[in-house]
Amino acid sequence: MAHSNWPEWIYVGVVIALMCWVGAEAWEAERLVEHVPEGAEIIKVTGQQWFWTFEHEDGTKEIGELHVEKGKAYKFEIHSKDVNHSFNIHDYVVLMDAIPGRVNTVWFAPDAVGEHDIQCREYCGLIHYNMRGTLIVEEPHS
Amino acid sequence: MVLELQKPRPIWQIMFSTHHTDVGLLYLIMSLGFLFLGGALALAIRAELFLPGAQIIGDAMTFNRIFTVHGTTLIFLFIIPFASAVGNYFVPIMVRYKDMAYPKLNAIAFWMIPPSGALIWLGFADFTWYATPPYSIISAPGPAADMWIFGLKILGISSVLGSINFVVTILKCKHPDMSIGQVPLLAWSFLSSSLIILVAIPTFAAALLMLLTDRLGVTGFFNPAMGGDPIAYAHLFWFTFHPEVYVLVIPAIGMMYEIIPRFSRKPIHSYGSGIFAFVLLSIVGFSSWAHHMYATGMSFTEKTVFMVGTLAAVPASALHVFNFVATMWNGRIRFSTPMMWAVGGIALFFSAGAGGVANAAMPLDFTTHDTYWVVGHFHLFVMGTIAFGSIGYLYYMYPYVTGRMYNEAMGKVHFVMSFIGTVLVFFTQHVLGLYGMPRRIFDYPPIPEWIAMNQIASIGAMIIGVSMVIFLVNMVYSSGKGKPANPEDPFGVGGKYYYPFEAKNPSH
Amino acid sequence: MKTLVGLFLVLAVLVIVPAVEYAFAAGAEPGEYLDRRVVIWNLFFRMMTIAFVVGAVVSGTIIWQVWRFRESHPKAKPTPYEGTDW
Repeated sequence: MAHSNWPEWIYVGVVIALMCWVGAEAWEAERLVEHVPEGAEIIKVTGQQWFWTFEHEDGTKEIGELHVEKGKAYKFEIHSKDVNHSFNIHDYVVLMDAIPGRVNTVWFAPDAVGEHDIQCREYCGLIHYNMRGTLIVEEPHS
Repeated sequence: MVLELQKPRPIWQIMFSTHHTDVGLLYLIMSLGFLFLGGALALAIRAELFLPGAQIIGDAMTFNRIFTVHGTTLIFLFIIPFASAVGNYFVPIMVRYKDMAYPKLNAIAFWMIPPSGALIWLGFADFTWYATPPYSIISAPGPAADMWIFGLKILGISSVLGSINFVVTILKCKHPDMSIGQVPLLAWSFLSSSLIILVAIPTFAAALLMLLTDRLGVTGFFNPAMGGDPIAYAHLFWFTFHPEVYVLVIPAIGMMYEIIPRFSRKPIHSYGSGIFAFVLLSIVGFSSWAHHMYATGMSFTEKTVFMVGTLAAVPASALHVFNFVATMWNGRIRFSTPMMWAVGGIALFFSAGAGGVANAAMPLDFTTHDTYWVVGHFHLFVMGTIAFGSIGYLYYMYPYVTGRMYNEAMGKVHFVMSFIGTVLVFFTQHVLGLYGMPRRIFDYPPIPEWIAMNQIASIGAMIIGVSMVIFLVNMVYSSGKGKPANPEDPFGVGGKYYYPFEAKNPSH
Repeated sequence: MKTLVGLFLVLAVLVIVPAVEYAFAAGAEPGEYLDRRVVIWNLFFRMMTIAFVVGAVVSGTIIWQVWRFRESHPKAKPTPYEGTDW
């Protein structure tokens, strides 16, 4: 290499610095997001071809619809009965795979009354495209 | 081998030949055939998604089969064989050897591909190119799924044989006067990608066998009902196929390393950093596989390790971009068709890479994982970078293969339309993913934003489709009626081409 | 030269140590409700800001040099390698 290469070194330095920044920011955000609040209510989510079942802590079961209360934190325990699914409430950035034989968890705290789509994001066969549900956020009961 | 069309030979002489340019020609024609077949499936998918509801494809099962075969075809039957075509033509010339190291093995490696292509196309499996268990074990209909497994098995063996051949040709058969540090970058790209294949493929080969025995019900490696773990398959699969992404992209970068200095009328800025980046990428590429699996319930520590491994691969790719920009700097660039494709490919390479960095950042997976964002991202790589580099190189080697020049105007129209189409389809798909549309869905609810963006993407796909018809016409017409090319310098830019027109084919 | 390295080392320690401490300290309080949407989308938009800035620089450079170094540009001059067998 007869020519001087300092621009290349600066360039590589900038790239490495940017990657360090991305890594640090992502690490920090992930840590914040994974920190489940104490006292989060547990909802058992079960995916199967091709619908979602929800079981609340008090034993109530729902199919295709999930009723939660505004201002509470919920922790989903996600199961699957047959093949891989992925539990997704896009509006609340909730996503976690449902893998048979495993229990994955993810949490969220709805902050406004409303209805949101629940969908399956992992390919699971014939009716994957219509494995949908509704999240209904209600005012607190008492 | 030049000029089959000027000095015709019976077709069986080419088919049963073991000469590297003949095998290269077979690879070339077959891979282009599969490019058009796979592309037609892509158009069917985009037509179906133009509006919510069933459009041209009657049912979800057919749709699922179509996207599975689309992906499998374009990755394994277009991109990889196309790279082998280029390697067969140019690697022996670049290392100054008379042929590949093992000519018969070379022909065998090629002839394993048509049967596996037939298995994939006649079976038409529906479990995505990823064949996720337990779906692929308990739900996917046979015999399509089994045919896919056997097809991929044969393709894997063919890749390994081809790679052994490249590695031995480059390391052992190069001219004794030539040190490994003088081997051109295109040959270096084949050396690094072949080494990746040799390390990566056996893992997937094992996983495929386990998948097959699981399907037969005699084992339960990945079947939770029999105590197996589907995540184990995901690890084995991505341990092969994340490095495989680099197998796809490295030869395309190597092709750009041949095109860009040629048309800039300058040697490559830094040969050393090109080699360094290839070697670095082929090592670091093995540290990032599980970034495909953030949503499967990995621990924070695992995620962090694979995020760091992924980000570590970025500087190596960035070095190539620098090298290309610095090579063009102060050049006198002739924008013939190959150069346009190469420069367009670099521009899209950056966008694809930036999307990749965002994918590596673990919390963003909650928004983007398995949405159209991911579809847009990896298509920007395979279409925007790899296919652009490959098609550019096809135009570049066209005068050598046929002895004639392609039609320059049609080539440029092809590029401009493809570039616009690629940007329309795949950038829109990124945004569509942010709006939450999952990938691999046959139908979607009539959400206005989803409809609008799907329509933009479908229009973009049609533009690419039209440009590909122009491409096909150009290739076929010019091979018979094009202007005869000057084999010493078909593009009129000077310098020493690695054009193998001096390679003596015993059949001529 | 050595003092310069030392200076940068001191600066790095001064900047990095508090940043790491801050990162480990935040969000560890029990019962704290974080809005994951805010955390994740903020991260996304910050990264996209940087990505688009870098992208503008990179593609701007490429577009400029494609325009400037094309052979039909009035100021185009032969490279030192033309006419040789490089």
